[in-house]
Amino acid sequence: MTSFYARWAALIVIALILSGLTYQHYQQNLASVTPEWIVKNNSSPTPSIRLEGMVKSGSLSGNLDEGQAEFQLVGDSANVAVHYNGSPPENLRELKTLIVVGQWDPAQQVFRAREIVLVTNYGFVVSAYLVAMIPLILLVFSMSRKVTSLFQVIKESKLYEPQAEFHVDSR
Amino acid sequence: MSLLPSINRFIRHIQRFKGWFGGAAALCLITGMYLGLITSPPDYYQGEIVRIMYVHVPLAHTALFGYTVLFVGSLWYLWKRDPLIDNMCHAAAGMSAAFTAVALVTGSIWAKPTWNTWWTWDPKLVSFAVLLMILAGYLMLRTMVEDPEQEGRYAAVLAIVGGLDLPIIYFAAEWWRTLHQPLSISLRGVSISGDILLPLSIMSIGFTLLFTYMLMIRTQMLYLVNLFDAKKGRLLSQVHLSKVGQ
Repeated sequence: MTSFYARWAALIVIALILSGLTYQHYQQNLASVTPEWIVKNNSSPTPSIRLEGMVKSGSLSGNLDEGQAEFQLVGDSANVAVHYNGSPPENLRELKTLIVVGQWDPAQQVFRAREIVLVTNYGFVVSAYLVAMIPLILLVFSMSRKVTSLFQVIKESKLYEPQAEFHVDSR
Repeated sequence: MSLLPSINRFIRHIQRFKGWFGGAAALCLITGMYLGLITSPPDYYQGEIVRIMYVHVPLAHTALFGYTVLFVGSLWYLWKRDPLIDNMCHAAAGMSAAFTAVALVTGSIWAKPTWNTWWTWDPKLVSFAVLLMILAGYLMLRTMVEDPEQEGRYAAVLAIVGGLDLPIIYFAAEWWRTLHQPLSISLRGVSISGDILLPLSIMSIGFTLLFTYMLMIRTQMLYLVNLFDAKKGRLLSQVHLSKVGQ
């Protein structure tokens, strides 16, 4: 049984490492900042970042069919001007919360966006994967443990011994 | 030469390699999740939520595969009356029920952000839920009948009748107007891009291997439980007989 638990412990460690790496990847590539963060750090240009906010009502202008738009992105207490230049956006509407991907230009005080993506609730994705994998892994674990313990019981107990001939005394 | 001993030999032979099935399943699932969660692109309309597809669709396919194994095994059992096949059918039903339940739950999680509801009375969803009911009924039936031979026979008949649900599930989106999207991979061709098809295929292979691995373990477990019960019963009867003899 010790080797059985050791094998499963190794599997859990591998699964935890992979989960950590996946979480790190999402934090690095899919974490977004708010307009407040941009206003607070507006003195220096940023690398490519994701900025999340709501498109301010009445601020949207430009030629959307040609993929050019100017609008204000609103956070809880700050606004950021966004100049979008990319493929014609499907999801760009006033009062819609979305994420723009691009760089902050401190000289012009404008966020230059090249991509617009929907805000995703990763809770649904994470819970779907957890709901799928955890019950199946627990099922494999419990069945494997049962098989191992049954083998052990059958081997260790007298049940394993070949059945001896027995006679009923008819006297 | 009879086919039965060779099938039995094949099953016993393949049991020896069950560890390899487990390893291959883990490798495929890890690779599929890496491709599905990290390298594949988000969907044009659904965005990142589409990544649920890489786990929901393969689970549903595997559940249907599991029931197909049960269906074919039940036909085989009624023909040959081999207890090993009956054991395998019993194991396949349990595993298939687990995969069906998990596929339903992940589908429900996917439905909320895309259809704005956890559940809808859609033909595909309802026929899939019926499959879970059939499997639950099958497993309950197996606990109710005393005689193992009779238990196997009744269960096989139920599994074969329940098999009528398989084409309904598969073609529901074609036959009726449903919310569920139609088949992306069919005889008419493949309507999804390579970036999505690759992780989807790898995850499908991974879950099918996992199902096979679990089927092997469960078949072995049911065999050992039966062996344990039989030996215990024999030992008890031996004690009883020796007492009678005194």
